[in-house]
This record gives sequence, structure tokens and C-alpha cells, in this order.
Amino acid sequence: MRRLFVLPTSRAGWGLLAAFICLVMAGIWPVIGLLNRAVLVFGLPLMIVWSYGVIFACVGVMLIGNRIVERDDHE
Amino acid sequence: MNSVWPLVITLGYVAIAMVIGLKARAGRRMDTLEEWGVAGRSMGPVVLYLLIAAGSVSAYTFMGAPGWAYSKGVAVFYVAVYLAYLALVAWYFGPKVWQFGAQFGHVTQASAIADRYQSAALGALAALVMAVGSVAYAVLQTVGSAYILFVMSGGAIPVWLGVIIVLASIALYLYISGQRAIGRTSAFQGALMLVVAWAVGLWAVHSATGGLDMADVFKRIQAEHGEFLTLPGARGDMSFSFWTTSIIVSMFSFMPPVWTQWMCASSARTIRRSATWLPTYYVVILPMVIVGFIGIYSLPDLARADTVVLEYAMANLPVVLVGLLGAGTLAASMSSSEPFIHSVSLSITKDVLQPLFKLSDALTAKLARWLLLPVMALVIAPLAIAEPGSLVMILLVGLGFASQVLPAFIGMFFWPRASKLGVMAGIVAGFMVTVAFTTLWSHPLGIHAGFWGLMLNLPVFIGVSLMTPATQADVVERFFRIAAPRGLKRLGKQTSDKSASTNAV
Repeated sequence: MRRLFVLPTSRAGWGLLAAFICLVMAGIWPVIGLLNRAVLVFGLPLMIVWSYGVIFACVGVMLIGNRIVERDDHE
Repeated sequence: MNSVWPLVITLGYVAIAMVIGLKARAGRRMDTLEEWGVAGRSMGPVVLYLLIAAGSVSAYTFMGAPGWAYSKGVAVFYVAVYLAYLALVAWYFGPKVWQFGAQFGHVTQASAIADRYQSAALGALAALVMAVGSVAYAVLQTVGSAYILFVMSGGAIPVWLGVIIVLASIALYLYISGQRAIGRTSAFQGALMLVVAWAVGLWAVHSATGGLDMADVFKRIQAEHGEFLTLPGARGDMSFSFWTTSIIVSMFSFMPPVWTQWMCASSARTIRRSATWLPTYYVVILPMVIVGFIGIYSLPDLARADTVVLEYAMANLPVVLVGLLGAGTLAASMSSSEPFIHSVSLSITKDVLQPLFKLSDALTAKLARWLLLPVMALVIAPLAIAEPGSLVMILLVGLGFASQVLPAFIGMFFWPRASKLGVMAGIVAGFMVTVAFTTLWSHPLGIHAGFWGLMLNLPVFIGVSLMTPATQADVVERFFRIAAPRGLKRLGKQTSDKSASTNAV
């Protein structure tokens, strides 16, 4: 029992885990360091645009996740 | 500001919230924790969306966040990012927590911990220490509420009276309608905050630039104060490491009211649907933050950064909008303090008093409602009126502790071998580091104290768990039938081990 752990059991599950990790990585260093410039994009600071990009990407990934979970018919 | 309208509008909001909160009961009996505590697990996706969203958007969004923009710049957006990550956390863990609650009868986070580790002592410990952070948070929000009434009344409502007005309103509808009042009032507060934030933000942009294009604000900031557009911010104190570790620590702080909110959903699917769209609500932060940026050049000499929106609004916006700003800020404070006050009362009764005095479920349910009154009258109100200087420190330590409970959840969702003593040892070790690195040596190397705590907590938790007895197999099995419906994997082997499913746990 000591080495048992909960991990994804399907390719879609692993893909979803990878997407979650990518989302978190996108919002922290070192990615944030690459975007740390005083420039405007669409009239807003790059850091704000990127932050909202990450925020809406979260919605997109969860929408895909819903399809996967509901297709597999388990909670 | 001499007009009476801002105060009328703000008090009008309080009256509407009262009516909504009181009517939320709708004739139901509130004599069980299932009903008063988790609204009979009945909330639909829209109410749940607004409940979680409004609960996470506090007075900080209307006062603190613009203040951060005013004093530091874009560094404030770490809050928006971690709030979105909390939606990911809700998406994954929320449905499982809901199933725990529905199948095992949990109504609080500490009940789930006590059940998983078969330790009433661990549940009580979690309830008590989480209560410290929760009370501090509720006090801060109450202070914010009273301050808004003070400003909107032009000083006619002193802080002590404002505290009493706000807490009395909340106490009444929480006692009568419980979690249903929180759900209904949050729906109203959430919608109000969104409308007010954008109305105030756009009006402020118009008054500052003559148009509605936010770009004009940022072009000026870029030309005159470029340091506000990057980290480490204008004060040089928001390093990449602090940004990163603050987000990580905040992500893993499973606060008890959020846990209870997940259990209020009508189904596991409802939580997932609400969590999916939850990040969209955080567009509420942008317009308020822009007012903070406008303040950088229009109000350069403010003594208190977190008053920037109020000061700007009173100088430049019509009185009706100032009143709506007061109502919106009050809504933000109340929507955040209500769940914490309710959660403290619920958890202390259910997880500390019931096992200690062997109370019946009926008496526990009655006591939880009555406990609201001493919690508010004897703890929150005096602290809010006194405004002790150490309050923010208490809050930081409390929130730092919240992240240190992480091992309890690792053992609940991922690792069946986690033991009661492993969790306790990890929590104690992590908490001591967090306290030390919050009070004695603040955030060493620019890394969040809670993150330092986790770096000691997790190895201690794993080491002690491996050296001490695991929880009995049948308990672990029923938890992991929900946490891992398709079985577990054995680390270090190539293939999925179906035989190492919950039967082997």
C-alpha cells in the first residue's frame, strides 16, 4: 500500500493532467519572467493580457475536461 | 461629500440583502446540519457559481486590489491568476468532496478529516486552527464593511456602530436561513459587484481620459511610470519568487467555507459545471484595478493606498455611482465574511463540541445556530471595533496554516498510506516554520512563508506516515472508491496495476 498512488488511468486523463500542469506553469516563473516587459498589447499591459489569457485558458481546459469525464461516465 | 444619496443607496443594499437572506429559508425547517449547514445539498450551478465567486471576491477586490495597483502596479494580478487556479482545484476536488459528503454524511471539512484518519482529535485540531484564520478573515471584512458605512455616512455612522449594523444583519439571516441565506445573498451580491465594478471602472476611465478606452490610461502610465507595468513593481517588493510561491500556497489552501460550499451542490456534476465557468467572474477585478492605475497620476499623494477608489470616486463620480460603489464594496465584504462566520460556528459545534460532550445530532444542529451569536458578539465585533494591529499578522498565520493542512488532503485524495500521525507531524512542523517565517523572519529570500512550511511539512508527513500505522483498511477503501474510482497505480512500475485497486488498499 505504501507505493500506491492515484494517477490518471487513460491517455485522455494524462492529457488533462498535462494541460493542468501547463496552465499552472503559464502563470508562474519562469514563464512570467519571459513576459515581464513594459509593453502594451490591445491597449493593456502585457502582464494583464497574459493573466487573463491564462484565466480563460483555464475555462477552455475545464470545458474539454467536462467532455472527457462525461464521455467516460464517471465522477 | 454632503449628499445623503450614497448612504441611502448603501443602506438600501443592506435592506435588500436582509430581505433576500430571510426569505431564503422558504418555510423549511432548519433543525438539522444537513439543512442549515449545507442547504440540503440542493444548490444549482448558477447559484453555486455566484456563491463561490462572491465568496472569493472580498473587500480586497474593491479596496485592496486597486490599492496594490496604485502602489505596486501589475503585480496585483497574481490574485486573479490564483483565483482561476482555485477553479481548477474546485473542478477536480469539488465533485469528490461532494460525494464524500453525500455518502458519509460530512457537513464540514474537519468532519471529513476526522473520518478519513479515524481521529476526532485530528478533526478538532483542524477545526480549531482553521477557525483562527477564518475569524481573522471575517474580522478584516467586517472592518471593511464598517469603514464603508463610515465613509458613505460622512462620519455619521462611527465604526463601532457600523460593525453592529453589519453583524446584526448577517446574524439575523444566517440564524434564520443558514447556508441558503449565504447562497441567495451571494447570488445578489455577486451580480451587484460585477455591475458596480464595471460601471465605476468605465466612468473613472471616462472622467480621466474623456473616452472609454482603457489604453489611454496605460499609455500614460507606460510613458511616465513604466515600473508599474512589470515585476517587481513600483516598490520593488513583488519578486518572481514571491509571485510564484504566493500562487502555489494560495492554490493549496483548502479553506473550510469553500469545502462546505462544494457540499451544497445538488450533484457532483453541478460543481464541475460551476467551476468550469468560475474564472470568467474574475473580469470583475480589471475595472477596479484600472481605477488604481488612474490614481497613480491623478491622486499621487494618498496616505492610504487602499482608499484610492473611494477617494477618486468621491472627487470625480456622480453621487449615485458613489452610493453604488459603497453598496458594491459592502456586498464584497459581507459576501466574504458570511461563509467564514457560518463555517466557524458549524465546524466548532460539529467537530469540537459534539465529540467532546457526546451531543446528539439534534442538539448539535441547534447549538451551531446559536453559536453564531457569541462568535459574532464576543469575538468578531470586539476585534473589529478594536482593530488590533496584529490582525493582518493573525490572518497571514491563519492562511499559512490553511496551506499546511495539505497532507491531510493528499492522504484523502492521492495516497492511501498517509497516517494520522504523519499528517499531525507534517502540520505541526509546517505550521511552526510558517509562523516563524511570518513573524520573526518575514518571507526569507522573497519566498512565501507558507511555501517554506510546505517544504518541511511534506517530507515529515511522508516519513512519519511510512513509520506509523496506516488508517484501517475498510475506511481507506471507502474513501478511495470515490477518490480513485478506477483504482490506484503502484509508483515505480511501468504498467497500470488494476489488481492494486481499492481492494488492495
